[in-house]
Amino acid sequence: MEELPHASHTIAEFVRGYEEGGVLRGFHCPACDLLTATWSLACPRCGRRDLEERTLGTQGRVAAFTLLNVPGDEFLNDAPYAYVVVELEAGGRVTGWMPTVRSVADLAIGDPVHFVPSYKPGVQFAKDRGPSPGG
Amino acid sequence: MRETWVVGAASNRFGKMAESARESATRVAMAAIDRAGLEPKDIGYTYVSNAFGISEHQAHVGPLINGGLGIPDVPSCTIESACSSSSAGLHEAFAQVAGGFIDAALVVGAEKLSHLDTLAATSYFAIAADYPFETRNGATFPGLYATLASAYQSAFRTTPEMFGAIAVKAHANAARNPHAHFQKEISMATYLASPVIASPLRLYDCCPFSDGTAAIVVAAKEAVPRPATEPLVIRASARSGSITEMQDRPDLLGLPATRTAAAKAFRQAHLTPKDIDFLEVHDCFTIAEVMALEDLGFFPKGTAGPAAQDGVTTRDGRLPVNPSGGLKAKGHPVSATGASQVVEVFEQFNGLAAGREVPNTGTALTHNVGATGGSCSVHIFSRR
Repeated sequence: MEELPHASHTIAEFVRGYEEGGVLRGFHCPACDLLTATWSLACPRCGRRDLEERTLGTQGRVAAFTLLNVPGDEFLNDAPYAYVVVELEAGGRVTGWMPTVRSVADLAIGDPVHFVPSYKPGVQFAKDRGPSPGG
Repeated sequence: MRETWVVGAASNRFGKMAESARESATRVAMAAIDRAGLEPKDIGYTYVSNAFGISEHQAHVGPLINGGLGIPDVPSCTIESACSSSSAGLHEAFAQVAGGFIDAALVVGAEKLSHLDTLAATSYFAIAADYPFETRNGATFPGLYATLASAYQSAFRTTPEMFGAIAVKAHANAARNPHAHFQKEISMATYLASPVIASPLRLYDCCPFSDGTAAIVVAAKEAVPRPATEPLVIRASARSGSITEMQDRPDLLGLPATRTAAAKAFRQAHLTPKDIDFLEVHDCFTIAEVMALEDLGFFPKGTAGPAAQDGVTTRDGRLPVNPSGGLKAKGHPVSATGASQVVEVFEQFNGLAAGREVPNTGTALTHNVGATGGSCSVHIFSRR
């Protein structure tokens, strides 16, 4: 039987990568330059099939966020926390959560943040030290 | 393609159902068939949506509904497209009828969530997102739309009152809709005083968890020589998809699937937004109505909020939006929502919307989104 097409890593390996190895594994599209953490066989932007394995950067800035007061069941004891879309400095965007952000006043769009390896589920970020551009 | 009509449509009152989704779906489907002046034996296929049926320990509900309608030999299937499930069912029914494979089809969407607590219901809603890349990172359904709202607020000048105007309008309309979950008006002060669920979304920015059921009967014009009601001519039935994950979308200021589905629908119907008299759009959150009206082409980006505040989208405004009360106040029983939007158009066209009539009912558009825009349906209906 022919071997089925496969990606350079599985979703389980992506999760183990950030939970145990402290890295965010991703894919790079050689055609349109998309960098993404989302598991895929082909580029979701342009359809190119030979995606390259990449380790994503860990520094970025908040592109969008919300402070969640009513969580889902896996985060029951963690609210309030921020759910963030982070624009990585080295390219690409990833989503994650920030358990140390407890108030809307604690975070602003554009704030510098970094990935934090953690035993808790989910991709975690924390604010960089120093004043935020938004004050 | 054959000219294809919606010849019957019915809904129960959204809110809390004592009965199961299966019983409700069967009863509302029979009511829609009765309104169409047809018999169950006239149905050639049943498209059922019941996305959270598993919470009632029930899958494969189509044959149970058909059995309850006395037509166990009629084929059925379940269509799941998150919050756009029953509009996806309508799209499939349209294709079968317009393509000449069957003369009439039943589309029914039913959902029961009231037996779950808020935590369980919140978790059920979140599973329509990308689990490992969104939900496992802490996303909830309100959280995802709140994230879009934060990007929108960062790009355009907004005020809480813009979003409040949408919530106040929704409740004013729902107060006049006997199918609605919330049949009470709210004031701007009540909106502004409501607690924040996921910043910047307040409680009154959010649709409720609702039980509810809606059903539609679709038939070929030639199969219904003397329709019992004023039929809705299906001028366009379009669907589109887009990247589900926000991390991979080119921008966060709207839903790409709405833009592409709308372009297809207007092209199919040979119409433009100027031809539409009123709309039912997917307003699971107030920000969703703003983005929908802009992505559908009715307002330039950044202007739908001010338009709502100026009263443009009220029932007697220039462009009535969600005269039913929308998902926001009529309620959002996930799988029933798309079909219920068509019920509103059917009742407006047939003089059955007493107290919430819109001035012009020549042509209407319905817009139904799956989750945060991975799926989208746009339908356009006109009078004969």
